[in-house]
Parts: sequence; structure tokens; C-alpha cells
Amino acid sequence: MEDKKNCTGPLMIALQYNDLFDLDSISTSTDTDALPKGRAFTFMKAVQTVNERLVEQNKSDCLLFEVILISKECSEEIKTKIVESVKHYGLEIGKFFFCKKEELINTLQSNKVKLFLSTERDDVYEALHTGIPAALLYDQADDHVFNQLTVIFSGDVIGFSEDSLDGLSEFGFSETQIETIKTAKICMKEFAVLIGQMRRRFGQENSPLCTCVLTSWGSRNVCASALKTLREWGLDVDEAFCLAGAPCSPILAVVKPHILWDGGLLNMS
Amino acid sequence: ASNPFTFPRSAGEEKDWAAAKAHFENLKSTKPRPPKPKNAVTIAVSSRTLFDMVAERKIFEEEGLEKYVQHQQEHENEPLEQGPAFPFVKAVMAVNERLRNLYPDSEELFDIVLMTNNHAQVGVRLMNSINHYDLTIERFCMTGGQSPIGYLKAYMTNLYLSKDAKKVQEAIEEGIAAAIMFKPDVESQLSETQLRVAFDGDAVLFSDESEIIVKQHGLDTFFEHEKQHENKPLAQGPLKCFLEALGKLQKKFYAKNERLNCPVRTFLVTARSAASSGVRVLKTLRSWGLEIDEALFLAGAPKGPLLQKIRPHIFFDDQMFHIEGAKEMGTISAHVPYGIGQKYNKGKLIEPEKQQK
Repeated sequence: MEDKKNCTGPLMIALQYNDLFDLDSISTSTDTDALPKGRAFTFMKAVQTVNERLVEQNKSDCLLFEVILISKECSEEIKTKIVESVKHYGLEIGKFFFCKKEELINTLQSNKVKLFLSTERDDVYEALHTGIPAALLYDQADDHVFNQLTVIFSGDVIGFSEDSLDGLSEFGFSETQIETIKTAKICMKEFAVLIGQMRRRFGQENSPLCTCVLTSWGSRNVCASALKTLREWGLDVDEAFCLAGAPCSPILAVVKPHILWDGGLLNMS
Repeated sequence: ASNPFTFPRSAGEEKDWAAAKAHFENLKSTKPRPPKPKNAVTIAVSSRTLFDMVAERKIFEEEGLEKYVQHQQEHENEPLEQGPAFPFVKAVMAVNERLRNLYPDSEELFDIVLMTNNHAQVGVRLMNSINHYDLTIERFCMTGGQSPIGYLKAYMTNLYLSKDAKKVQEAIEEGIAAAIMFKPDVESQLSETQLRVAFDGDAVLFSDESEIIVKQHGLDTFFEHEKQHENKPLAQGPLKCFLEALGKLQKKFYAKNERLNCPVRTFLVTARSAASSGVRVLKTLRSWGLEIDEALFLAGAPKGPLLQKIRPHIFFDDQMFHIEGAKEMGTISAHVPYGIGQKYNKGKLIEPEKQQK
């Protein structure tokens, strides 16, 4: 089932440099060769593991992850530091972009980024709003294992019907928020299709890629609908959680995802 | 940059709650909304206790995981048969209905969670089966092979029922009431309007401290000891908190003058005798502020025949000897793998190598 002719890769993911490196603790860091590790580190390691395993299976596999680093305005000194630090840690970063905050969206669009990952909820939401696929980079404990990349898809975004989503306006959700959720579903599809292809390279067990559906609000039928939709898109998810309104942070603390596709929904303040 | 998940949980969680409420009300059906976990008595059931998956399990064991998942997907639209926890779940649903009638705004209800380490793809068949029987199960956790223990805590589980001895043991070690369910050899007619739960005493509701005395020093020493310590409450056992949770719900019916028609009834079925060692048990329950509806002291007689009369939806005991006896006579039994009883088989000490871990 090798689709050598239809090369749909690489799967381009964009990270922000302030997620990859912890700029807040530069002054307290004792390592002068490189910037201190940031929240995206475990994600990077997990992505590299997936790529290694994919290449192990098929040397000429072109559906691999490619990570690009986006940097907002910073000094020349920091720019050099960033590039050097990436080399120092042996991180596989494909490209570096240094651009102004206003240019972020354009940069993402013109580079055909399949996923923009950030710990900044507002950035994710803004990107989604303009139709760029974006998800939350979930903050994790440092001792997380590196041999598996975990992705959570929101069962609510995928499984809710149009009517149900429209009905959310009666419960304090703005038109903008509802539209963003609908856009998120479209964005998720392309990503899910690619992840589905990747996931199928591995068996049920010992896969470096773990995919989940988390339904925070919907009933079990919403979750079932999400599972079936994802299946239609070519992704057979591994794990499913249906919470029907129960708090999701305890579950997230156990699953510890790297990528959380929530459409800007979870814990919206 | 601040962590997006550290802003006040209550604000975000309330919004989640409002959205869930919205969805359920939008459904325009009579589907009741599940209670908030912190208010509910949460019972986690595994797929093999809720449904009969014996044939499917065989495929998993003989042909491996891939074939098993494939089989489940191929038969996705065929509902599974009822498992040993099914009557218990139906009875729990009946209690909820009565509670909702009496207290429409209360969240002190039972909540059933499907807790399985099956892959999500198998989950579709499980959900279709739940739909088929119209069970009120809206929360589930399909861990795709991961241990459910962390999730049991995340879902605030009060009782975990599974067929997997290892998982149940782990849960008990983590302080969660848990038991391994067994399907009875013969079927019984069980009440559909009253949830009936039977408990063994030592090493189930109470600690195994007295059980140790019996095993190591014999019955005579045990009787003496219990008489001497009559007024000293026993330490609590793994199922004490579940009895407590049942008691809280029972009191809600008493408060509305429904004591005679209470849809929850509890039984103590103990090998202790009423004359001597039984008193300490009753005094312990009283000291905990707990009531048990019927206390049956067997003075060592087999439990099977009595349980056959009681017809509980579930009977908890720590000794396989009693589980087997109950099973043979049609009682749905649940083994609590706790305490010194695990090292003995029919009164004899099992060699260390043969002891189940």
C-alpha cells in the first residue's frame, strides 16, 4: 500500500521560536552555547521519532513531517542564537522565517503550512479564523516519553451537526466563535487525511503515532459521528474519550497530547 | 508566555458545562443530561462486563490484536449480547429515574462510564450496542491499549468493574473500589425496579485484620478476639466507600418518605455468626454512620443458597471459594482481590509460586 506515485508530503508544521526555546530563562541559564529548551522540545523529539520510524519502513517515503520555525521581530544576535541552538540540540528544522507579527499569517499561507502549532491560544484562534489550520501545542511535563507523537482531535468540532453548532449562539457563543469552529473542521480534514496515511504505515501496536478523539460536550452519538467521519477521511483513531460536559483537564493530564485540535473551543474564557 | 491552561478552571469548566447542557437540550429528546462527576456516584464498567465478548476475546487471544479489531469492525452493526454487569447497569438506571423524579435539579445520581482499553475502532460497535439497548451511558474512555488506572481517577470513579484481575488489583491499590466480575452458571430473574447489592464483610467492607487471625490462628482465637474487641471498630475495607455512596442516595428516598419503596437495598452476607463475632461488625457500621438493610450471618454455612434467595444484581466477596459457590447457584459475583484471602484457596495456604499476582 505504498503510494509512491502520489507523494502528498511533506507534512509541514510551523512552530514559533518562543515555544521551541524558553526565552524567559535566558538570564538564569548556565548554558551559554544554546538557548534554554522550551515547551516544544518534547514535540520536536516525538516528531523526529515518527520520521525515523517512517524512513525505517520505507527509505523513499516522502510523507514525513517537516518543521519550520517562525520568529517574530528579534535582534540579529537572537537570530544567530536561534540557528545555532537548533544545531546544538540536533533539531531537524527545515526553514527559518523571521518576520513581523503582521506578516505571520501571510508567511504561513505562502508556505503551505499544514499545521500551525502554538501554545498561544490567541494566535491559534486568529490563524483558524483566517482559514489556516492551527492547533494548540499542549504544555507537557519534562519527563514525557519521546517515542510517540500524540494528536487529539476535537470530537465536538467534527461530530456536531451544523444545526447543533448554530444552536450554540443561545449559550453565549458569538457568531465569530461559531464560524471559527466550522472553519476548524475544514482545516482538520486535510491534516487528518495526511495523518491517516501516516498512521496506516504502522500497526495497532507499537506505533510512534497515537491519534485520539476527545468529545468534551457532545453526547456519545456526537463522538460516534466524529469517529465515523474521521474514518471516512482515512484516519482510524486509536483512542476515544467522551466527557459529556465533565472537565477535560484531568483527561488531558493523563493523555498528554502534543497536538490538541480544539478549534479554539476548550476552556474558552 | 503564560500557559493557556492555568487561567481559572472554573470559568472554562463552567463554559464546557453550559455547552454540554446546550447540546443535550438541543437534542429535543428525553435523554437526561449526565451529572457533574464531582456530584455523582461514578461506576466505570469495562466492555467485557457490560457485554458478552467471550467469542471476541477468543479471537483476540488466538489470532491477535489486528484480527480482533478487524472482526469487531466487520460486525460493527451487530449488537453484542448482555454481559454480567448489564443487569446492574439497568437497575442503576432505574434508580436514577426515580431520583430524577423526586429531585429534578439534583446531580446526586449514578453515572455510568464505559472504561475500556479497547481501540476506538472497536468502540463503534460498543456504542452501537449501547444505542441498541438504549443505555444511559454518555461518558466513555477507550484507551487503545493504555492502562485505565489514570483515567479512573480522571473520571472520579467510585467503583470499577472489570474482568481483568490485574487492572482491578491496581485500582484497589490506588484506593478505588473495584472488583472482578463473573457471569453466573445459571440465570436468575432479577428485579428491574430495585438495585440490590450484597457485600461480604471482612476484607470487603472491612479490612482483613480479622481474616488474618482466622487464617493464622484458627476460629477459636478469632471468636475470642472479636468478642474482646467488640467495641473497637474494624478498619475500613475497599468497598466501604461504595456502601457509603449507596447510603447517601438511599437517604434521599427516606427524606421523601420512600423508605418502604426505596429502589436501593443493601445486604451484608458474612460467614461470621450473629451470636459472637457478628456484633463487632454491626457496631463498626454504626460507628461509621452507615446502615445496611439486611445483615445475614451464616456462621460458616455456604453463601450460595442464601444469595439465590436474595437475588442481588452484584455480590462482592474477597474469597474465590465463595465467588464460585455463589456463581454456581446463579448469583452475579464480583471478586475483590484484597487481603490475606488471596493467599489461600479453600482454607489452605497457596504456595507462593502459585499465588495470583
